[in-house]
Amino acid sequence: MNRKQNFINGFIKENPVFGLYLGLCSALAISTTIDNAIGMGLCVTLVLIFSNVIISAMRKITPSEIRIPVYIVVIATLVTCAEMLIHAFMPSLFTSLGVFISLIVVNCIILGRAEAFASKNGVVDAALDGLGMGLGYTFSLLLISVVRELLATASLTLSNPFTSDIIFQINLTSLEAYKISLFSSPAGAFLTFAAFSAVFAMIKNKSDAKEKGTK
Amino acid sequence: MTDLFTLAISAILINNIILSKFFGMCPFLGVSRKTSSAIGMGAAVLFVIVGASCITYGLHYLVLVPLGIEYMQLITFILVIASFVQLTEIIIKKFSPVLYKSLGIYLPLITTNCAVLFVAKDNITQGFNISEMLTYSFSVPLGFMLVLYIFSAIRERLDSSKVPASWVGNPIALVVAGLMAIAFTGFAGLV
Amino acid sequence: MPYVYAFLFISVMGALYALLYYCNYKTPVPKGCEDLKTECDGCKVLSCGNNPAQNKIEGDI
Repeated sequence: MNRKQNFINGFIKENPVFGLYLGLCSALAISTTIDNAIGMGLCVTLVLIFSNVIISAMRKITPSEIRIPVYIVVIATLVTCAEMLIHAFMPSLFTSLGVFISLIVVNCIILGRAEAFASKNGVVDAALDGLGMGLGYTFSLLLISVVRELLATASLTLSNPFTSDIIFQINLTSLEAYKISLFSSPAGAFLTFAAFSAVFAMIKNKSDAKEKGTK
Repeated sequence: MTDLFTLAISAILINNIILSKFFGMCPFLGVSRKTSSAIGMGAAVLFVIVGASCITYGLHYLVLVPLGIEYMQLITFILVIASFVQLTEIIIKKFSPVLYKSLGIYLPLITTNCAVLFVAKDNITQGFNISEMLTYSFSVPLGFMLVLYIFSAIRERLDSSKVPASWVGNPIALVVAGLMAIAFTGFAGLV
Repeated sequence: MPYVYAFLFISVMGALYALLYYCNYKTPVPKGCEDLKTECDGCKVLSCGNNPAQNKIEGDI
């Protein structure tokens, strides 16, 4: 029961992007289209799960004074492998994500979860925590990019990263005259992000008030 | 010489690293509540970026390329940046408590700053020679410091005004950042 | 053969970083600076040494 509650927490109450403001650099820059958002989110989730598992498996033998260097080497190795795999099998994703795949290594989420959770809990717990945080991150990236892509181009396109075939495409041609191209620029990213963080803060305040009221 | 000047102006104003490329966002929201801390953070970032990009540039062209191991670039760079930050902190602790008081506390935060790794990689990707690399590595943190200073000045005023309950803190600060981004796009045709 | 060079190089860099981190850990903070704080509650970077969350015993879930 506790595990399921923790898993759901990663989506709404302790959302890494909107609640804890971690990993913002890539979240704001990537979320222009939902292809990029899903690709980046899945990449971060996989790196997070693997790094949590490895660090949790090694937690008894790493000396506690030099644990940060050890974590950084593990995460950097995983990100280099991920970058090479993406370059080989999903070239369209590689060209659109560019330098941000390498920047996963300094993503505050991964080092933060390794330090706070994986170094103190078992392998299965750490893997589930990585999955929950990674899916929460993907969920928030998807939210921002759906809004931005709809408002900026009046259409939603999802394509297969391996073969660049289009899976589905929604074209709101009737609204195409009203599209706001501000939302594909950095300023639009900031404004969308601000609106979503206000919504999440409101949800969090309400649930905190309800908990305090019942106590 | 005009090329270097154009490079500097475009790195500071036009392609500002926070407002148009989104690197360095984590300290942007966390350390920008007071102007004094913004200047301290900006100075620390300036020092780390200049030092780390010189070392990584040298390592790439003198060790990684001759040995044919460019795929180790990411691991090498992040280890160099982290070691440089630790070395800087040791030197500052031993030789200047005054400097430690003003900027030493921000140093552990800069290891995971996206901006440092981005500048180190960008020097290689854009194929700069040494003078271009030095100009670029010097101007990007100047742009970072400028935006951070302006943002912290606005945020000091925001702290004493009435904001709706769910927008207090980071959401309203992000709206301010969005307005600043729109303002900075006015520099687009400068050079 | 390049793989051996790569492995050796990274081990040397990693050992250098671990050594410097350890030296930094052992170097005492200068007098008068023990209780400096940055305004860190907005940052939530849990791996940073300045974060007040480091003082908690159990990791929060």
